[in-house]
Formats: sequence, C-alpha cells, structure tokens
Amino acid sequence: MKFLIYRYNPETDSEPRMQEYELADTEPGMMLLNALERLKAQDESLSFRRSCGEGVCGSDGMNINGRNGLACITPLTILKQPIELRPMPGLPVIRDLIVDMEQFFHQYRSVKPYLIRHDPDPEIEIKQSPEERDKLDGLYECILCGCCTTSCPSFWWNPDLFRGPAALLQSARFLMDSRDQGTAVRLDELEGPYRLFRCHTIMNCVDVCPKNLNPTKAIGNIKKLMVKHHI
Amino acid sequence: MKLHAHGLRAWLLQRMSALYMTGYTLFVLFIFSCSTVLDYQSWHDRMAEPFFSLATSIFFAGLLVHAWVGIRDVIMDYAHSAMLRFILLSATGVSLFSIGIWMLRVVMMVGIT
Repeated sequence: MKFLIYRYNPETDSEPRMQEYELADTEPGMMLLNALERLKAQDESLSFRRSCGEGVCGSDGMNINGRNGLACITPLTILKQPIELRPMPGLPVIRDLIVDMEQFFHQYRSVKPYLIRHDPDPEIEIKQSPEERDKLDGLYECILCGCCTTSCPSFWWNPDLFRGPAALLQSARFLMDSRDQGTAVRLDELEGPYRLFRCHTIMNCVDVCPKNLNPTKAIGNIKKLMVKHHI
Repeated sequence: MKLHAHGLRAWLLQRMSALYMTGYTLFVLFIFSCSTVLDYQSWHDRMAEPFFSLATSIFFAGLLVHAWVGIRDVIMDYAHSAMLRFILLSATGVSLFSIGIWMLRVVMMVGIT
C-alpha cells in the first residue's frame, strides 16, 4: 500500500515536502491510524498525534486524500492510493501532521463553553425535562478534533476573527441549554460582521464532521435566536 | 428593535431582499405569462401603473442591497489590507449607487412618457 505523506520540520527544513512510503503488511479491517503506526515503526521521525484510537479523543485529525477526517476511524480499504496525508489546513504546522491548535482553542474559549448562571447555585442539581435535554442532542457530542473548523474557507481567511464551526457549535450547545442564563452575553459576544456572520453556509464542516454533527444548522439556529433576541 | 449589529443587520437585509425578489420575480412571471401580447408596449403599459412601478423600484432597491451585502462579504473575506478594502468598497458603493440612479431613471421615465 502506497502513501504520500507531508513532511516538515520547521527547525531543520526550509520548506515542506511530500515523502513516499510503502506498507506491505496490511490486514483486513485495518484503520489508517494503524497503518501510520506501522510506518512510524519504519521511520521514527514521522510525527502525528494520536491517543484513544477509536474516534473519541479527536487527536488524530488530518487531511486524508484532500478531506479532513480522523485516521483512527478511517478504514484503509476506502482510500484511493497513493494515500495522501497532509496536516489539517489553515493552522500553523508544528511538525509533519501535527498542527498548532492554539487559534482553534482560542476561538473555543471565546464562546465561554460552560454554563453561565446569575442565580445562586441551587442545593440540588438543576433539573431538565426530557424535551429540554433533547435540545442538546447533535450539539454536545463534539470532540473538538478541529476537522470542521480547518476545512472552513471562512476560517482560513479570518482565523483570528471568525469563531469557526466547532466553537459556534459549542456556543449553540450552551445557548440551547435550559440551565444556562447567559443568552444575552453570548449573543452580544457574537455580534458584528465576523464572529458569527462570516459563515456563508459553505457546509464543508457538515461534510467532514467525523461525529456526523451539523454545525451549519447550529449556526443557523444561533442566527434565528439572535433575530428573536433583538426584535 | 436594536439592530446596531452590522452582521445581523446585513444578514437580515440580505435575506429579506432575497425573499422580496423571489416573490416579485414569480409575480412578474405570472403576470407576463397571462398576457396575450408580449411586446415593448405591453411592458411599458404595465410598468406605467403606479403599483407596478413601486413594486419594481423596491425590487431594484432590494437587488442593490442584496448585491452590496454579498460583494461586501467577499471583499471582507479576501481583501485584508485596509487601503485595498477601502478602494474596493468605495468602487462597489459608487457602482451600485450609479446603477440605482439609472434604474430609478428608467422606472420614472416609463411613468411620465
């Protein structure tokens, strides 16, 4: 099985290059991450992030044959050869397939991804009805892998100003939460032409999300909530 | 109503103008498909009616607003230099304003001739 992998070490390389690899011992049911681990055994300088290996931690997001995805849940059999692996686009490369996620997490922190409460904390848990809890489905499952945000052209052009689909999905997750009391603060923070409204419904985020979430729909719901809140 | 937010205001204007333009286009298609004669005179007579003239003026105003928001978005995405952005936005504004004046002239001329 043939691979073409992006290699770049900013400390030693003047520019990135694509390096060819070949893996002879592949097995049925093997995931891309397993193949990468075997390639790393051949060439220990090859660098990539990985952790849980089962699509839960979101560490091994990368650009696989031109499309962002998680290596650990991408079967080798569905990939056309040579399998071309690049770091997720739009973020600075630390080394090979590892990108600096600081900008991504800065945007994530900016949407205050936690419950905002003005009332004193109750002595017991804040209860939700099943209907209220259902509103969080499709929002809370995000694993922050960054596949959506780094496939979004609006984020590529304005990574410092546009919050990006992952952060906005998290914003929607707390806006829809019946226990949250920070609606006005959250919506005010998203006002302006950039933070929320750079989304042009391109929907690359929906296309690549490994958890099959729909950030575009969540962004649309924030816009509707903003209209309701302002009128 | 507080619509000081440029993002929300622009987004709403773009959507409302799109809705109006869709409605107007369907209405015009319906009106002209019901007409037996389709020539310049029938178009002129129809456009001379005050209701039609007003609806058409609103259509063109909506078209210009819609185009302004769309082009402004593209410029904001791609032109990051303040000077370049200023030049492009100014050129767009002047162009759309000129087109608006021309459209208004056409609609008014139909009404008085």
